Amino acid sequence: MGHLVTSVAPLPLQGGGLGRFIDPFVQFLTDITNLEPVLLQLLAFGLLLGGVYALTALGLTMIFGVMDVINFAHGVFLVVGMYSVWLVSEMAGISPFLGIPIAAAVLFVLGVVVHVLTVEPIIEAPQQNQLIATLGVLFIIQSAIEIVFTPDPQQVELSLGSIQVGGVFIPLGQFYALVIALGTMLAVRAFLNRTDLGRKIRGTADNRDGARYVGINVRRINYLTFGIGAALAGVAGGSIALFQRFDPFTGETYLINAFVIVILGGLGSFPGAFVGGLIVGMIQVFGGYYLPGTTAQVLIFLLFIGTLLVKPEGLFGGAEA
Amino acid sequence: MGKTLKSSTSNRRRFLKATGASVAALTLAGCASDDAGNGGSDSGGDSGGDSGGDSGGDTGTTTGTPEQSVDEVIIGSNHPLSGSLAATGVGMSNAIKLAAMRKNEEGGIESLDGAEVTVIEGDNQGAQELGGQVSEELLSEGAHVLTGCYSSPVTTAATQVAERQGVPFVISIAAADNILQGRDFNYVYRPQPPARRLASDYADLVPTVIRDGGGTIDTAGLFYINNSYGQAIRDSLREFLPEQNVEIVEETAIEFGASNANTQVSRLRSADPDTIIATTYVAGGVLLAQALQDQDYRPPYLTASASATFTDDDAVSDIGEFANGVLDNNYALNPTVDKTAEVRSQFLDNYDQEFSASVGMAYTAAEVIIQAVEEAGSVEPDDINEALKGLRYEDHISAMGAIEFDDQGENINALGPVNQVQDLSVRVVYPEEYAEAEPQV
Repeated sequence: MGHLVTSVAPLPLQGGGLGRFIDPFVQFLTDITNLEPVLLQLLAFGLLLGGVYALTALGLTMIFGVMDVINFAHGVFLVVGMYSVWLVSEMAGISPFLGIPIAAAVLFVLGVVVHVLTVEPIIEAPQQNQLIATLGVLFIIQSAIEIVFTPDPQQVELSLGSIQVGGVFIPLGQFYALVIALGTMLAVRAFLNRTDLGRKIRGTADNRDGARYVGINVRRINYLTFGIGAALAGVAGGSIALFQRFDPFTGETYLINAFVIVILGGLGSFPGAFVGGLIVGMIQVFGGYYLPGTTAQVLIFLLFIGTLLVKPEGLFGGAEA
Repeated sequence: MGKTLKSSTSNRRRFLKATGASVAALTLAGCASDDAGNGGSDSGGDSGGDSGGDSGGDTGTTTGTPEQSVDEVIIGSNHPLSGSLAATGVGMSNAIKLAAMRKNEEGGIESLDGAEVTVIEGDNQGAQELGGQVSEELLSEGAHVLTGCYSSPVTTAATQVAERQGVPFVISIAAADNILQGRDFNYVYRPQPPARRLASDYADLVPTVIRDGGGTIDTAGLFYINNSYGQAIRDSLREFLPEQNVEIVEETAIEFGASNANTQVSRLRSADPDTIIATTYVAGGVLLAQALQDQDYRPPYLTASASATFTDDDAVSDIGEFANGVLDNNYALNPTVDKTAEVRSQFLDNYDQEFSASVGMAYTAAEVIIQAVEEAGSVEPDDINEALKGLRYEDHISAMGAIEFDDQGENINALGPVNQVQDLSVRVVYPEEYAEAEPQV
């Protein structure tokens, strides 16, 4: 089989006390010094995982950036995206890749409907009202999916496998998700910077009252933004469905990570979301390899707290409008 | 965009406050659901939540002493009917209703003049903080005896309530040893093998199967879910495997809800053991198989201990050919008795779900309860409890001896036999008394 990996991370039970946590770092530095090939493999996995995480955070950061709305339904929007791709793939026999834009369209409509029915009526109310409203939407949609499709996990019948480049294995499903994440980020950025509607959205994000004074229909911008944010969740969910089984509750874990990424990267910042996603992905992969148990999760939240203390606006929060 | 869309500091603070609180709430709700006995997280099942069994009847009852007339016996089923464990949880609750239905079709509880068995359901969502609350609710609705909960942390909380109120609780599935051991309980019973027994059975049986087949198993790598159930199995494997001359050369954990197992497989691939031993929910085992394939790696023997993945037909089907040959020691349905096929068929007809080993274990727990009530001839908790203490139940469908409990409430004849995936079907292959096929090594 020709194993690429020669470095062996310390067995968690071998060390005791402080050594349990120090030894992994020593091992990590040793591997760097020796240029162990495993580092390249881990780098690839971190990049792939981070890309997926970034993709899940884009819609969340956009909705908050423009509307100040904390959309707790984002997690279940991801799930709707997954089921949309699965449905068009299984029922209509359409390629799952073509299902992703369909999922985006479905989510755009769903996002607009959710906004008009639940967020718009309380848009001027204290922020916790919108949070609770979107939390309610989460439970309603989640339950509806569970009732219609059962809690059984589903998966798209697609075996993408992996490729080996220079001894590094790259799972293709996650690779495509990374490509989609990058493409989506660039497309949305171009939309916001180069189209009239995009500029209106940015203007509204900068100053809602000012936007009204210059004649921008802020109400329309709100539902378009919510729809686009939901569509981004549809793209993310659809991409995840390419390589992962899912059930009505799969969105919960991604939602928590997305919140961490959004705060880490800077509220409302797309590049921040991307870099935040990569950081979380890298810590999970390298931490998972070198550290005992799931200590990597602790590191992520330590970084999260540290960011709040040292740079509370997030990594990309400094270059504000 | 190149710059942030919004700059308001106060907004940021509100976002942080609100999301902080909400993420904490979600984390509690979501992550608390991270331990599922030794079972998987997903298999079979339509959404549930209805109360009462197929036996019909409302939840009212004429509770009373043996001298009083008893119309029905109420079993409170405390399982995850929503949340990420619901797929299996719903199936387990349905299995309990099936046991009640079969008893009612036979004429009900004979010693109580044909009293019907009714099942009322509570949804613990797989969340530890709801385990005790659901038990309380079921008891307030009139349950005479409880069963649950699939998740070990949830079961820990749920059994505490039962013990405090002096109501018998028969665990359907929950593997963590410390649910019963060291708590000095008097009302809680566990038909399934606990984690320590499952790991002990792995060490006794799986290396034997491999070596008898001419294979070599000197080293092992552990891949486990990082919670009380996974850690309990890991700890016991550490103790028992060296006794069978198997050295653990790698350990790697996966978090509940993880999206892939790439990193863990990288570690295992580095160590290249003779066998990988998976201890996961269904989803975790599927991720393991996927990552192994993505990295073009498979150890000589892919095995599992107390993992539901490779005893779940749906999961095996999803994994595909790669699942063939996997050896997994876990509780199992007994293929050598006709009753198993009969119950399986009836379950499929009634609920259109797979009758997995986990679902079958819940069915067995319900039969234990029904038999205890039959022998007690009463719905008084203490009478049922006494019956459970002296119970010896042989007519069950699990691959183990007669169910009888020791002082701690553990089944002294519990067993985790060896299953193997052959032609994408899960078959019991060892020990021979329960085997339906020869092991293929």
